[in-house]
Amino acid sequence: MTSKVSGNSLHGKSGQARLFLIESRRFLIIFLVASLGLFAAINAMPEDPVSLRVKNPDPERIQEIRDSLGLNDPAPIRYLRYVGSFVTLDWGNSLISGRSVREEIARFLPATIELSVLGIGFGTMLGVMLVLVAHATGWPWLLQPVRGLAALGLTVPIFWIGLLLVLFISVHLGWLPVGGRYDFAYGAPSGTGFLLLDSLLAGDFQAMGIALQHLVLPVLTLGLYPAAVVAGTLEARLSEGYIQRLITALQSRGFSPVRIWGKHVLRLVSGPVVTVIGTQSGALLGGAVLTETVYSWPGMGRFLVDGVLNRDLFVIQNGLLLIVVLALVVVTLSDVVANRLDRRLTSKEDSA
Amino acid sequence: MRRIRVADAWALFLLAFVLLGYVYTPHDPMAQVFRENALDGPSVSHWLGIDGLGRDFLSRLWRGGANTVSLAACALGITLSLAAGLVAIEQRGPIWCRRSVRMLIGLWVALPVIFIGLFLLVFLKPSPGALVLAVGLGNMAFAFRQLRVYWISTREALYVKSSEVLGSRGWQLFRWAIWPNLKPDLFALCRLLFAISALELSGLAFLGLIGDPDFAELGSILKQNQAYVYQAPMLVVLPGAFLSSILLSLHLTRFHR
Repeated sequence: MTSKVSGNSLHGKSGQARLFLIESRRFLIIFLVASLGLFAAINAMPEDPVSLRVKNPDPERIQEIRDSLGLNDPAPIRYLRYVGSFVTLDWGNSLISGRSVREEIARFLPATIELSVLGIGFGTMLGVMLVLVAHATGWPWLLQPVRGLAALGLTVPIFWIGLLLVLFISVHLGWLPVGGRYDFAYGAPSGTGFLLLDSLLAGDFQAMGIALQHLVLPVLTLGLYPAAVVAGTLEARLSEGYIQRLITALQSRGFSPVRIWGKHVLRLVSGPVVTVIGTQSGALLGGAVLTETVYSWPGMGRFLVDGVLNRDLFVIQNGLLLIVVLALVVVTLSDVVANRLDRRLTSKEDSA
Repeated sequence: MRRIRVADAWALFLLAFVLLGYVYTPHDPMAQVFRENALDGPSVSHWLGIDGLGRDFLSRLWRGGANTVSLAACALGITLSLAAGLVAIEQRGPIWCRRSVRMLIGLWVALPVIFIGLFLLVFLKPSPGALVLAVGLGNMAFAFRQLRVYWISTREALYVKSSEVLGSRGWQLFRWAIWPNLKPDLFALCRLLFAISALELSGLAFLGLIGDPDFAELGSILKQNQAYVYQAPMLVVLPGAFLSSILLSLHLTRFHR
């Protein structure tokens, strides 16, 4: 969609304001479509979520509960109340545990974000490093793992790799914990819910060590797929003609390989890498859910899957919408960032 | 005569062998009749041992492979027919249709398959069919984009234009000018989509979204055996290895070249 706004309209302040306007309009439309779709899906639910929870199904009692939850109002009012309560973060209580959905999400979401950010960061670095080093040094044996990595993403299930890692490194060698996020025999630092950040702020390096130990295998597992995707994109981009010409030109000026690859080429290819991470964020999210299940990581994935399977009304209607909003934010942000990186850098490198 | 390559022959053989799991398995893959021997290792009558609930593991794996392959093929069919329909609308339909198709695809790529699966399961009962639908719908946007590029580049090619000028129309034009050059790309796309579908399908099954936990599908077999990972690690290693070897064999084929 951003391809419509091209050329000069993107330069200068008015262009940026326009881009922002277009992005926010798209954001709003998707939010409305997603919330309407979710609302319709919840209305089409085959079982009544309330009567599933009441122990002795007395119709009057069920109607009473439905009334108190506002489930018997006409559909337009319920939809408006749904969007309103979602925006104001008034997310109700789980029908099963009775706990506040907002507090549950505040507990699970940081775990998922911590895992995903580290996994994607690690994967991107691995992919970029492998490809750049392989091309810069010209060692063919370094290009083999790059191609192997691409095949890996299309042939081997990610959760199986996770299980193999657990079997070998945790069970067989006993080097790392089998699963979970923290060893709660030790007191965990509290605060933001991001264990690494909290322990760093508290200066508690033992806690940080424990959290890191639990992170190694999940991050490794989750990082493989982004590494494959990033490496593939980079390979394709690097074989384009103008990049090859640029490299030859830079080499002829006598620049060192580190400067050519680490500075000029890296900046030139960073745009597509950011875009591909953005467009693949959905697949990455799926990978995060699978990784969480393998390592019994207390994150959003398990929470939402259980919520849907148990027909937990308020978990479904707010948790799923939140995930869509988050995925949208990532896609939009990566679009904006990639757009700026790509345009500014191509014009700069061309004129240089 | 065209030479059949080893990799292609092997992939065909493996697919046929896997699908044989519908017709024949050494024991019933669902019947829990060997309960007293649960978690036993390989023996003459049970080549891969017995799983935690007393079922012959080889039979389960075989039937599971057959189910995974055929469910992924169904998902591939849904994806391709939806994508082809959308490309047709986008190329030939009235202007408002084209716009809305592009809009829909723009929205669709932002939605991960796992979300579409969860969304469908809000109003459907967890079942293999629901998962096939989720995977088929989830890959639609990707398939549409690829298919559109292939179609436009072939349709606008000079030789197609020339045969149109020479009077070729409709089916004749498609069969003799477009199809021969569309085929290799289409085969490659099918192979890619099949691998993605199989991986996503077994991933969703591994999350426990397939409904019946006893349903023989490689992902759900893995999920069910995760509890016995300490006593019998092979029960976890083999389903993934089986799926990977099927997909790897397909990855190495060269049918389309």
